[in-house]
Parts: sequence; C-alpha cells; structure tokens
Amino acid sequence: MRLGFPRALMYYEYYPFWAGFFYKLGIELVTSPSTNREIMEMGLKKAADETCLPVKILVGHLMALRDVEGIFLPRLVSMEENTYLCPKILGLPESVLYAIPEQEIYTLDVNWREGKREVLKSLLAFRTRIGRTKSQIREGFAEAQRWQKAYRRMRNAGWSFEESMECFETLAEPLKLKDLGFSRERSHRQKTADFEDGWLLDQGDITDSLEKKPRIALVGHSYLTYESYANMNLVQRLREKAQVLVVENVEATPIELQQSHLQKKIFWSHAKKIYGAGSYYVEDPEIDGLIYLSCFGCGTDSMTNDLLARRARQNQKPYLVLTLDEHTGEAGLVTRIEAFLDMLERRDDYESNLSSYGEHMDRHSSFT
Amino acid sequence: MKVTFPHMGNTWIVIQALLENLSVDYVVPPLNSKETLTIGTQLSPESFCLPLKLNLGNFVQAAALGADTALITGGVGPCRFGYYGEMERQILQEAGYPFDVITLEPPDGSLIGLAERIRKLAGEKNTWNRIVKAMLFAYRKSLVLDQIEDLFHGFRPRIQSPTQVDRLYEETKRRLVQAMTDQGLKDVLNWLKDVMQQSLADYVDCMEENPLRIAVVGEIYTILEPFISMDVEKELGNLGAVVDRSIYLSGWVGEHVFRGLVQGYRPLRPYYTLAKPYLNHFVGGHARETIGATVKYAQEGYEGIVQLLPLGCMPEIVASAILPKIQEDYGIPIMTLTVDEHTGRAGIQTRLEAFVDLLERSRHNLTAINEGVLELAGR
Ligand code: SF4
Ligand code: SF4
Repeated sequence: MRLGFPRALMYYEYYPFWAGFFYKLGIELVTSPSTNREIMEMGLKKAADETCLPVKILVGHLMALRDVEGIFLPRLVSMEENTYLCPKILGLPESVLYAIPEQEIYTLDVNWREGKREVLKSLLAFRTRIGRTKSQIREGFAEAQRWQKAYRRMRNAGWSFEESMECFETLAEPLKLKDLGFSRERSHRQKTADFEDGWLLDQGDITDSLEKKPRIALVGHSYLTYESYANMNLVQRLREKAQVLVVENVEATPIELQQSHLQKKIFWSHAKKIYGAGSYYVEDPEIDGLIYLSCFGCGTDSMTNDLLARRARQNQKPYLVLTLDEHTGEAGLVTRIEAFLDMLERRDDYESNLSSYGEHMDRHSSFT
Repeated sequence: MKVTFPHMGNTWIVIQALLENLSVDYVVPPLNSKETLTIGTQLSPESFCLPLKLNLGNFVQAAALGADTALITGGVGPCRFGYYGEMERQILQEAGYPFDVITLEPPDGSLIGLAERIRKLAGEKNTWNRIVKAMLFAYRKSLVLDQIEDLFHGFRPRIQSPTQVDRLYEETKRRLVQAMTDQGLKDVLNWLKDVMQQSLADYVDCMEENPLRIAVVGEIYTILEPFISMDVEKELGNLGAVVDRSIYLSGWVGEHVFRGLVQGYRPLRPYYTLAKPYLNHFVGGHARETIGATVKYAQEGYEGIVQLLPLGCMPEIVASAILPKIQEDYGIPIMTLTVDEHTGRAGIQTRLEAFVDLLERSRHNLTAINEGVLELAGR
C-alpha cells in the first residue's frame, strides 16, 4: 500500500509521527515534492480566495500527489490539553475534498486533549481502513511516538529543521536512528558549543569572527518559517546577517510561564507556542529584535501578533511583521529585512538614547 | 461599577431585561453605526474579525456614557470569539479605557460556575433565587423576541408597503423592551398577531400565493446584526421572499450559555446530525450549524440559501468550501456574501436582487438554474 502525505501544514511538526506509524505497519508513505511554482499555482488557483496561504499551499500539494492509492490527511483536533488547532485545520479533510475529487482519502481524528488513550482509540478504529490488526496498530503507535520524540530531541539538540526531517524522509535513516542515539555524524557546519547562554541554537552559524551579529528571534507558524519557497528563503537570508532563534528553541516550561501575562490562556496549540516563545524573547535582553512571520488570511495570527506587538511596545523591543501573501515579491522582502537590521544596528550604536527610540513596524502590512 | 455589553442585533433587549431585574447599574451602548465601526476599526489591526471591531466601538461609545465594566460571553475556542474578552481588555487598556471584563461563560461547562459569574456581576444584594429568576425571565424574553422576528419573516413579503412593516417592527420592539412580566410578553405577542392579521386582510387580494422561500445561514453575529448584514433579511423580504434564518438568539443562548439544557426557539442540535455527512466534526464558530441548516432547508424545499460571513471568518470559510457539495447534491442555489468594513449597501442589494431574480426565473426554467448558479458563484 502506498499513501500520499502532503508536504504542507502539519507536515512541518508532525510528519515523523506518521512516518513512524506507517513504517511500522509496512505502508509506504510518499510525500509530495517541496513547494515549487507549479504546486503554488495549483493551490492559488483551486483553493478558495479567502482562505489562508498555508491552506492554499496544502491544496497545491494534495493535487501534486499522484501515483498513490490514496492520500492520508488526518484531522488534528488538538495537540495538548486545553487547546485546539485552528478551525481551518479542524475542517480538514472535508473542506479540501473539492480539490481532489478522484482521490481516496484516509483520515482519522487525532485529539491529544483527551490524552493518549483517545488517540490510540481513534487509531484502532482506523485499522479497518488500512487492513491491520489491533496489535499492529499498537506497535505502530509506539513507534510513531518514538519517532516524534526523536525528532523533538534532535531539534532541541540543535539540528536544523531540514537536517532532522531528512532522517525521517529517507527510510534508511530511521533505521540508523533506531536506538534514538543520534548515531549520525553531526553536520560539519555545526559548532559543538551550540548551547549558548542556556539557549539551544537552531543551527545558527556562530562564527568566531569578532564581527558582532545581531540576535533576532523569528516567530510564526512552522509551516511558514520552514516553507522556504513561500517565504523566499527567509531563514537563510536572515542567517547571513544575524543569529536567528525560532519558536522551537523555547522549551515548554517558559512557554507555559509566559501565558501568565494574559488574563485568559490562549487556547490554540500553535498560537500559544508562538505567543509564549515570542513573549519570552521580548523579555530576553540578549535578543535584539523580533520578526513575526505571518501570512495572508491567518485568523489566529491576527490575535497573536497583536498581543506580541503590544508586549514588544511595552518593552521597547524592535518588532517587525512580515506578512506573506501570494503577491509577495522578493525585492520588498529584502528591503524590509534590511531596514529592520539597519535599525537594530543604529539602535545598538545609540543604546543610551533607547527610551526615545520609538521605531516600530508592527502593523500588518505586506511588503509588496 | 457601570456595566455595558456589546451589541448583536436585538440582543440588547434581552440583556437589558437581565440587568434590570438584577438591579445592576448599566448602560446600553448606542446602536451600531458608522461611527461605532470607525472607532473599532481604528483600534483594531485590519485582520481582526468584524464583530470584534464593532464590539470595541461599542465599548468606547459606552465609556463616554460612564461604563467601566464589559459583560461579554466567551468560550474556549477554537474560534477567535473565545478570545475576544482578553483582546478587548488589552486594546481598551492601551487606548486609555481601562475596562473590567466579565465573561459570561460556563467555566468547564458547569452551570454553577456560570451562576457564580453572574453573582459576581449582580453583587450580594441579589439572592440566588432572584438571580435564577432573572436568568430564566431573560431567556423567556429571548424566546418571544425570536418569535417576533420570525413573524416578521412571514409578514414582510406579503405586505406591499415596506415602511408600514418597518413602523410596526419598531413599535413591537418598543413594546417588547417595556414588557417586564410574562403577561407583558404574552400581550406583546398577541397584540402583534392581531395587527398582522388585520393588515394581511387588507392585502389579501394582491398577495403572492406562493412566495419564494430563502434561508439565511452563516456566522451568528452577521446574521443577527442588520447593521453589518446590510439588512439582508429585510431586503429579501421586501423583494418578496419569505426568509428563515439558521440561528435565533434563544437557540444560541440555550446551546452556549446553558450548555444545551434548554433548546431555544430554534434548537441547534439537529443541525449537527444533518451536517455529519459533510462535516464530521465541530470546527468552532457556527460552521456545523451553517452546513446542517443548509441541508435542512434544502430538504424542506427552500429555493435558495444565502451564506453570510465577515471577511476572514475562519469557521465560515471552512463551511463555504463545503457548501458547493450540498448545492450539487440537492440542486439548491447557494450564494455566499462576505462583508467587511468597506462593504457597500448597494453592492449587497444588487447581488440579492440578482439572486432573487435567478430563483424566480428558475421556477419556470430549470436549466436557468445551473447557468445562473455558476454565474453567481463567480469563481
Ligand atoms: S492557524 Fe492561520 S495559517 Fe494556520 S491554518 Fe489556521 S488560519 Fe491558516
Ligand atoms: S465566527 Fe468568525 S467572525 Fe466570529 S469570532 Fe469566529 S472568526 Fe470571528
């Protein structure tokens, strides 16, 4: 059996889980290619105008999955206690079926809100769809969790997104990782001392040169941060000029602690993480500025961004919002990043005048 | 403490009754207007949903009348609505209006918790007994309000004079506001029915025997608030269509505030079953209600559906991606109208006229329907 898995949305955080699950069950999972022009255009053309960019990209990927017996598209309801995912993710797969009328869809609900047992129950109910036994499903579930955990550990240990995901993409790699001991050679670019000031750096190129690079935090949904086609290699561009920290570099405890600035906790799994990490970086004196990477049509970002922008204002932390949309041009992006980095530098030079420095770019605006 | 609350159509009539019976010091904000919207838009990022912008406008306008405490309903997701309270508090604070926000929601779904919140609002002077009575009366008033609105749905298309209907509607609301006993509520209803019967008798000769039936579905705020729907129901009525709507206030209160303990004038539960084949899970907001209601109206032989949503509304975007499937399965034309702060009345009017026109033509000619639907869908 050969199932397709779109390289979009939930791929960016949870692919290892499903890769492990299906690997154990002997079902081949094929991912769509990295986003390219064709995929993007199919998505933009076919998806509803009003929906957000990531859902449009998902539609493109679904259409790009050919030569498979079906497409696996679970409904992720919640990733942890007391939270949900956004309505558009809850509305999958039904709300994208129109794009792939010919395809067989394999789906199930995944709800961690109610705990592990509920998830297992849902997986067990799914077994008839893929013709597996209860005990096979149980083994698959265990393997899935192991892989997901391995992924998280790799990220925490400073492996980049691409580096870690590669292990789960190529089926030979996980075998090597079987004992989760990270037996693989570390990338040569990686410095051993990536554990700096208590932070885990996401492959930040820490050069030994005396030239001081600003430290910036890039926050936003994983499916935008690592969607290098849609964001025009933003992460790499930034790394040329700065040390970059991301949401995944902040651990669960500080994220939870940061919610105390709010009278009501954020109830979306991802927005909560983004807010917690962003707010943590706002407080951190070592961070020179924040960039919020958002996209057209994101409902939860409209709120998280507003909350974070306010935190940044209150703490006089430079803050920039980049809103990706389908018309985003490379030139505009580069100009805005450069202006921001320049500002950080100037700000650094005149540290003493800090309080009178009110330069903020925190309203939603596209950089077209 | 001076309490205020956001507008949503005629909801204020019911909340006013509740606060009045609890002897809470309150102020009703001025009705939604251009000014409300302008204030709200200035305070919000552009990508906020429209109801949130209007709420902010309401609060600022109420602050000018001395309000310092905002009473809102809540919930814990997954839609943005559940986070309005904290957003509003922070924005108002920063803009120089330090509001206290009291969220009327059953925390963890418990009704006792809800009663406790109301107690906080009502203060020690109120006995539990009085609080419960006030809540139940407010609920009964919402039932009557819904009935009144629905009576007008049937009345308007049959009366040739829109201004006459408008006048009667305003007069009825005035009477309803004043009715503070169960007998009073009954009297309003009976009076209204009498007046309507008489007027209908006057028009009996020129009445359309079999008017079009169109249902309005969608995001609750938009369908209940004529200011942002550009009076969709009224316009459709004036164009000669009998209108129904998926959600009435009491149904919403029953489901969300009383956790399904009471069902309201139009229960929401049946929608969930009907929605199943198309959307097998809640997604927040009222997407399931939109889907389920559309199926219901299609089955009941309604001739057209209008879906209303504010720009960027997450659950309704999900719903609108699914509606074409129902349109196909039942052959019922569905038109989606998205509104935002820039929406003009004329644009909506034109689209409604075109829609009604299409439905009328299709009564005579079935093929027109398919072509027309494609045209209207406009994708
Ligand atoms: S969280 Fe935002 S970007 Fe993600 S699916 Fe929801 S609306 Fe789209
Ligand atoms: S239902 Fe739509 S308009 Fe209402 S809060 Fe949710 S996203 Fe906003």
